[in-house]
Amino acid sequence: MERFNDWKLVLLTPWPAWVVALLGAAALAGVVLAALGLRKERRRGRRALLVGLRAVGMLALLFLLLEPGVRLLQTATVKGRLAILVDGSASMGLPLGEGKGTRAAEAAAYLRAVEPALRALEDRYTLEFYRFGEGLEPLAGFAEVAPDDEATDLLGALDALPRGSGGRRLAGVLVVGDGADTAALRDGLTREAKERLSGLGVAVSTVAVGAGVARDLAIEDVRVEDFAFVRNTVEVEDAIAASGMGPLEVPVVLEQEGEVVAQKTVSLGAGDQRRKVKLAFVPDRIGDFVYTVSVPVYEGEATGDNNAESFVLKVIRDRVRVLHVVGRPSWDQRFLRTHLTSDPNVDLVSFYILRTHQDQPRAPETELSLIPFPVEEIFEKQLWSFDLVVFQNFNYRPYRMDRYLPNLRRYVEEGGAFVMIGGEQSFGEGGYDQSPIADILPVEAVGAAPNEAPFRPRLTEAGFRHPITQVAPDAESTRAQWEALPDLPGINVTRARPGAQVLVDHPHAVAGGENAPVVAVAEIGRGRTMAVTTDGTWYWAMPAAKGGETSRTYERFWAQAIRWLVRDPDLTQVRVQAVQRRVAPHAPLAAMVSARRADYAPAAGALVHAELFDAATGEKIDERRLQTDAEGVARVEFGPAAVGAYKVVARAEENGAELGRGQDVIAVRATTPERSEVRARPDLLREVAAATGGQAVASADRKLPALGLLEPEVVEVGRSEDRPIWDRFWPVLLLALALGGEWVLRRRWGYF
Amino acid sequence: MEQRKLTVGLLALVLFALPQAALAFGETSRLVFAQGRYEGDWNPRPLALRRLAFEVATRTSIATLPQEKVFPLDAEDLFYHPFLYLAGTEPLPPLSRAEVENLRRYLTYGGFLLCDDAGDGRFAESCERELQRILPGKAVGRIPSEHVLFKTFYLVDQPAGRTLQRPYLRGVVEGGRLVAVISANDLGGAWARDELGAWSYDVVPGGERQREIAFRLGVNLAMYALCTDYKDDQVHLPFIMKRRR
Repeated sequence: MERFNDWKLVLLTPWPAWVVALLGAAALAGVVLAALGLRKERRRGRRALLVGLRAVGMLALLFLLLEPGVRLLQTATVKGRLAILVDGSASMGLPLGEGKGTRAAEAAAYLRAVEPALRALEDRYTLEFYRFGEGLEPLAGFAEVAPDDEATDLLGALDALPRGSGGRRLAGVLVVGDGADTAALRDGLTREAKERLSGLGVAVSTVAVGAGVARDLAIEDVRVEDFAFVRNTVEVEDAIAASGMGPLEVPVVLEQEGEVVAQKTVSLGAGDQRRKVKLAFVPDRIGDFVYTVSVPVYEGEATGDNNAESFVLKVIRDRVRVLHVVGRPSWDQRFLRTHLTSDPNVDLVSFYILRTHQDQPRAPETELSLIPFPVEEIFEKQLWSFDLVVFQNFNYRPYRMDRYLPNLRRYVEEGGAFVMIGGEQSFGEGGYDQSPIADILPVEAVGAAPNEAPFRPRLTEAGFRHPITQVAPDAESTRAQWEALPDLPGINVTRARPGAQVLVDHPHAVAGGENAPVVAVAEIGRGRTMAVTTDGTWYWAMPAAKGGETSRTYERFWAQAIRWLVRDPDLTQVRVQAVQRRVAPHAPLAAMVSARRADYAPAAGALVHAELFDAATGEKIDERRLQTDAEGVARVEFGPAAVGAYKVVARAEENGAELGRGQDVIAVRATTPERSEVRARPDLLREVAAATGGQAVASADRKLPALGLLEPEVVEVGRSEDRPIWDRFWPVLLLALALGGEWVLRRRWGYF
Repeated sequence: MEQRKLTVGLLALVLFALPQAALAFGETSRLVFAQGRYEGDWNPRPLALRRLAFEVATRTSIATLPQEKVFPLDAEDLFYHPFLYLAGTEPLPPLSRAEVENLRRYLTYGGFLLCDDAGDGRFAESCERELQRILPGKAVGRIPSEHVLFKTFYLVDQPAGRTLQRPYLRGVVEGGRLVAVISANDLGGAWARDELGAWSYDVVPGGERQREIAFRLGVNLAMYALCTDYKDDQVHLPFIMKRRR
């Protein structure tokens, strides 16, 4: 015999719901019709009796039709789940106060203290322990949690809790932690956070650990752009958080790789506070640098790890300063000028020779707009302020520039860039083969007259890969674009100097056994030079645009040439790119090294020698030797380093020849936001509890808060049995008596 | 003594007779004036451009080709000659769609158009009308006297041609550059000179001084086409301001 411990009333009728509704309506109509038929009856007793009998009759009829019964059930109560979340973030490793244990130990002590009370709930609830911080992980039980997560994301942890269903539902949450959230709740309980909390559908009760005052001074946040312009002011905004420090004058220092570049003193009052400090400085060099903002570490601070913060800043040139010297106005000069002036990144200074000694303007100087060519000012004083110098069809001899050309040579050797563009006053025709800059040019004169026959320039193998001539994303598109260009009108016939690279050459004109170069480049000392032996590149701008084409190749060619000449970091042969430029403490330092040959083909199998330097002292910390893969890329990784700024310098070699060097910087952060925010935030935990209907207590109270747990669910288990109650004699008797009585009385009282 | 004079004379002759170095690779790298041909009186001043090319080469460092080249307005070869001269005495007939399209690309990709009215002003008006079709949305307006066009080589106070019908120029700016200039003063009439060295037309009312201004304006136009706003660079301003005073 089955044992049933519960029951409920059910309808056993096989009829569908709509039929049942129809029957109910019909019964109601029967009563209403009876009442309407008796509305003229003045004797209320009679009227009430007849309507009452009709109602009883209808009810009895319905009872019989709906077949009510009793369902006998076998049920059980299923335990709900109480999730206990213990904070495992790094801030829980801070001491409660001087000479006291850590917050993590306090949390463990609290749980031990309330263990009996929690155990008492176990007959109705299952206790589930979790550790939260960066994420959510199950815990074994009442064990102490190691505080090593580098973030606290309470809301994320609550969202990640399994809700459960079918009787194993989440009934409530108990959070034990310091409330020092670094994620969604960092700025308090926002409206969005409240919505997410209420979406949980359970009460979250909280236990604040470490609610006492921790003595600490921290660089909480540093805000600065990712890049800055050289010789322009950079502003760094720091947030300094003080807790329990009392009134204090704090010097805030900003250093660039060991050198102080800005400092400011901040006055702090008593009590906890957060102050913003702006430090400004002017970077005077181009490159990637590590900067560190720091405040002193005072005695008795909870931690000294958060008193400095490092960041990497890329300092770029504000604009490329170009000196454009032109021997005579021409279309080639005009189109290059238009290109340069339309580029917002170019600061152009031009000198065009509009009149030579042979020309006769037939007007006094006062009626001309001409100015003297300030040769000495430009080539003696201003030369080093330019990033690029362009000589376009310019004859230097009438301006007694022989004495200044050595300056131009030195300027290039020390890192400047120089371009000579063809014409009847360029290269050998301009006497440059005998000049002090002869051997910084990528080409040399061969004594041949200019070749004026129109020709279709030809891209060399190196030209397909070189960034200057690679005018499309891939080699095939590049080839197609070059082949679509119109013929050029002629060239200065030259040959490439040893070490120079020819990117574009003449298909027929030969000099020194090789096809005469049209575009050639060379590395000279720390600088770069380029020769364009035609005065017709403007054909790639305007004649190329006839018939619906565009001048894109011209624009791309010159834009890329300028970038390559001024050593745009994105176009160097060996590039080092840190995987992460700000790494957390104890994280490895990794960088990708990509090596390309002089023709910009990937240098597969190249030897890479990577070294890690302390950026402040220049001391070598570590080194690695590895080989690039088929794509010319190698990943270099150094072990965790102490807090500070580091430079990864890589040199790539192939067959004993150096391909180039590159470097990048990495800052090992003094701390993470988790470690810099040491104040416990019981207020935040109170708000979380209030928003969800839970209760907040302090761990020092050693008592459980009111958990507001949902009641355990009751579920049916085993079999059920339906027992009809309609099949008795009394409903039929009641129906017969009610309807029969109404009939008898109606007849007696004369209603028929 | 006589023999020495003869020797010097012969030497000078030899020097002048030596072939000069090429001024540029191919003629199209020099300034070559292109002249537009259309149905109607397209060439009222046939000797004008040749003389202007000579004057530009004589007065400035610009290398020119003495003979202008004539193209229909829908010719693709126009793109090798970014200076286009369009002259007339009668209204310019409405341009065909191909001509409008070709000139639009020509001006957008770097070309420069000089419209020169050798008649009573109706050609200039018709050029303005056609420019509205070539560059829709771009206004044809008066070129202010402080525009760089008037100081690209000479300091010119007021434009002039064979006549002084309109003491100013009008033009269209595209991409920050003056792409078309319209003169109603018959510039070509002032420039034209025959093979015997005689001026083809009298210049009124200013005579030879006015002719010189017309040439200076022609040189400035050529210089503007090649150097654009070079004379607006900061380095030139103090000198020009001083001379303008």
